[in-house]
Amino acid sequence: MDATTAMYVAQGIHGLAYGMVLFLVASGLTLIFGMMGILNVAHTAFFMLSAYFCYQVVAWTGSFWLALLLAPIATAIVGILVERFLLRRIHAFGLLFELTLTIGVMFVIMEAVKVFWGTENLPLPVPSLLEGLVSIGGMDYPIYRLFIIGLSLVILGFLAFILYKTRMGMVVRAAVSDADMVNALGINVPRLFMFVFGVGTWLAGLAGVAIAPILTVFPGLADQMGMDAFIVVIVGGFGSLGGALMVAIISGLLSSYGVQFVSQLAPVLMFIFMAVVLAIKPTGFFGEREG
Amino acid sequence: MTRRVKGIVGGVILVILALYPWLFGIYFTNVIVTCAIFALFAVSYNLLLGYTGLFSFGHAMFFGAGGYATALALTHIEGCPLLVALLFGFLGAVALALLLSPIVARLAHSAFAMLHLAFSMLLYTLALKLRGITGGEDGIGGFPIPPFRIPGVVSVDMTDPLNFYYFAMAVLCGSLWVAWFLTKTPFGQIIVSVRDNDKRVDYMGFKVPQTKAIIYTLSCGFAGIAGSIYAMFQNLISAAALGIAQSFAPIVMTMVGGVISFFGPIWGAVIFAVIEELTTRYTERVQLVEGLILIIVILFFPGGFIHIVAIVKGKLLGFTRGKGAGLIKGKWFGK
Amino acid sequence: MNILETKGLYHDFNRLEVLFDVNLKVKEGERHAIIGPNGAGKTTLFNVITGTYAPSRGAVFFKGEVVTGAKPHRMVRLGMGRSFQITSTFNRLTAFQNIRMGVLSRRGIRFNFFRKVDKMEDITRETDEILKRINLYGERNMPASALSYGKHRSLEISMALATDPDVVMLDEPTAGMSKDETRYAVELIRKLTEGKTAVIIEHDMDVVFSLADHITVLHLGTILASGPPDKIRKNKAVKDAYLGEMEG
Repeated sequence: MDATTAMYVAQGIHGLAYGMVLFLVASGLTLIFGMMGILNVAHTAFFMLSAYFCYQVVAWTGSFWLALLLAPIATAIVGILVERFLLRRIHAFGLLFELTLTIGVMFVIMEAVKVFWGTENLPLPVPSLLEGLVSIGGMDYPIYRLFIIGLSLVILGFLAFILYKTRMGMVVRAAVSDADMVNALGINVPRLFMFVFGVGTWLAGLAGVAIAPILTVFPGLADQMGMDAFIVVIVGGFGSLGGALMVAIISGLLSSYGVQFVSQLAPVLMFIFMAVVLAIKPTGFFGEREG
Repeated sequence: MTRRVKGIVGGVILVILALYPWLFGIYFTNVIVTCAIFALFAVSYNLLLGYTGLFSFGHAMFFGAGGYATALALTHIEGCPLLVALLFGFLGAVALALLLSPIVARLAHSAFAMLHLAFSMLLYTLALKLRGITGGEDGIGGFPIPPFRIPGVVSVDMTDPLNFYYFAMAVLCGSLWVAWFLTKTPFGQIIVSVRDNDKRVDYMGFKVPQTKAIIYTLSCGFAGIAGSIYAMFQNLISAAALGIAQSFAPIVMTMVGGVISFFGPIWGAVIFAVIEELTTRYTERVQLVEGLILIIVILFFPGGFIHIVAIVKGKLLGFTRGKGAGLIKGKWFGK
Repeated sequence: MNILETKGLYHDFNRLEVLFDVNLKVKEGERHAIIGPNGAGKTTLFNVITGTYAPSRGAVFFKGEVVTGAKPHRMVRLGMGRSFQITSTFNRLTAFQNIRMGVLSRRGIRFNFFRKVDKMEDITRETDEILKRINLYGERNMPASALSYGKHRSLEISMALATDPDVVMLDEPTAGMSKDETRYAVELIRKLTEGKTAVIIEHDMDVVFSLADHITVLHLGTILASGPPDKIRKNKAVKDAYLGEMEG
């Protein structure tokens, strides 16, 4: 394999890894929207919060693996508390109030993080097991990126299993396509909402941990990732996991190859892609509901 | 309130604003001007949200468009008069709105909100990248602020903070009055009807997309005026002015002040100006306080400050002097 | 002369045919009831006529003009009013403001930016007159959402009439009303549609036979029978398909 091909492949791996992390964030966002109709503005704040939790767990125990387990769970607990004690209370007032409440939650998380951890970049080493490169067929691949791709695929499989093979999952899918149906089915809706919000923030949390060793942990993490994640959800279609997966991968590849070929325009590429899709189909690729 | 009491209150406020620089000193006029800029920005936003039921995540792009248009006019046009620069700001925002309105006027609900988020992010990125035009991260600054001149009559130096204070306040308060009047016209009735039930508006013989496009363009024009004054006031406009955080500002102010009333967003702007003045003395974490206040207000007083005032007064003032709490609940946008 | 007419109207949702060769003829000045079992396509027929959506095939004539696929606001401007089965008012606006929308529309006051609407005295007077006629003057300043069910329904019906249409389409005006409310609503409709053409979808046979001059029976998306009430009452096909089960 010549050097040019090697470069293409390496860029592809980078893009794919980023795309998969994007998918993790976006899947949580799109699940929550599909289920509850709430555009969770605080979603990327949860993502960032988890990266800080991860940093803290590593600082205490030195174990990245423990952090990978604990930080998303801690994030999900915060998410569940937000749903249980804030969102549920004003559910009766309608979407506008739920949506703006998540703006408040975002402000608080973003600032609370600065209060506890300061504003500097906190480096997080890649766990020693995943350091370095692996050689496959004469090509070197960064192990950690491969790990991210693998992890995301496992989560994707796990999500697919939950959604398509369990009763809970079927209810969630039914609700995503038709919110009124859940009420008709006699399901405990508040508990279901709490569950979905928990899973959604857990997914954001996983993504936060996964990205932390690459980007380091800092307050701007949410902004950097947030816009991309929102675009993925918008373009993929609200409430559509398949759409989120597809657009996340396109987005990841677009940004990594974009830097390669048109570095000046790279950040705009995704927006152009988005503008084109939305001008043709305002609900996104796979979006049916306008919600 | 009766007509007379309203008139007196309005008059007192005007007198206070007129005497303000002499009472509190020129430094604090900065606070007032900033507050008035955001009041107009938030009111323009509420014309969409509270009045028409359109939730946007990207209103800052019109604020920014106004600011950049004014800054560019003052930088590149030799001897550009003050009012022309202001007009550029207004028209810049209006032009952007007209460009978008064919797409967005047919949308509602989340698609409307999202498309604005998307476009505002696009503009933000462009403002950062097109350094030749926008100055990138540094923005455009240091442009000359021309005097206010009516040929042969007066020429007032606008680099004097006191003069600029009066100019800015006249423009901003005038715009607020126009916006308020707009809500009282028959057109103002049609937009609140669109908010409550756009389908029925069609069945009453009005064109919904056209109505939305008009109020959208007007709202964006007001945001552009706010942005234009902002650019002249700071003598600087940068990409932050059309960033996502800037788009959150009017949402938060409207919700804290009260979405049910024209004056709610103005109260919101005042409240946030006060919070900022007070908290910056103790902490850098202003947004923490703002976020907490937003959460508390939404949890306990979904109608915002106006709601609190009404509870205190023992009766609710709203659009309609009816049962207030019921007016807050229900469909604002979306399903 | 037929003020409203449909010719060979078809409509389908995802190839499921809901309307099938409907030829409706409504004479000027009559109160025309459309009856039929649930799912007969009555509301779909209304939606196609009033412009909610265009028919798949066929034509709609209104005042001798082809209006097939015209949007609702155009139909209103041509002189058609419509009320809904599910109450659809402007809930945060007062009863007065709800009716005023109709009055403004009739006067062609749409994009007026230069006068306060509250200062337009003739509009206010006209609106108040309507409110008095429909017995809602006492609730003038109440938000529509705060009205009692019966009053809310009256408002719904009256909004269709506030634009002073020549033809008014009422979709189950007495839906969900109690006996007393229904009796009151029937009188109201009788009073308000005086001198106008009214097309009414109705389930309550007492209402139908006390109001209608002409009845069209819709069954499985097509017209089963059409004629004066006496004839419809005696019609065998109608009895078999519909009336029999209702009265028997």
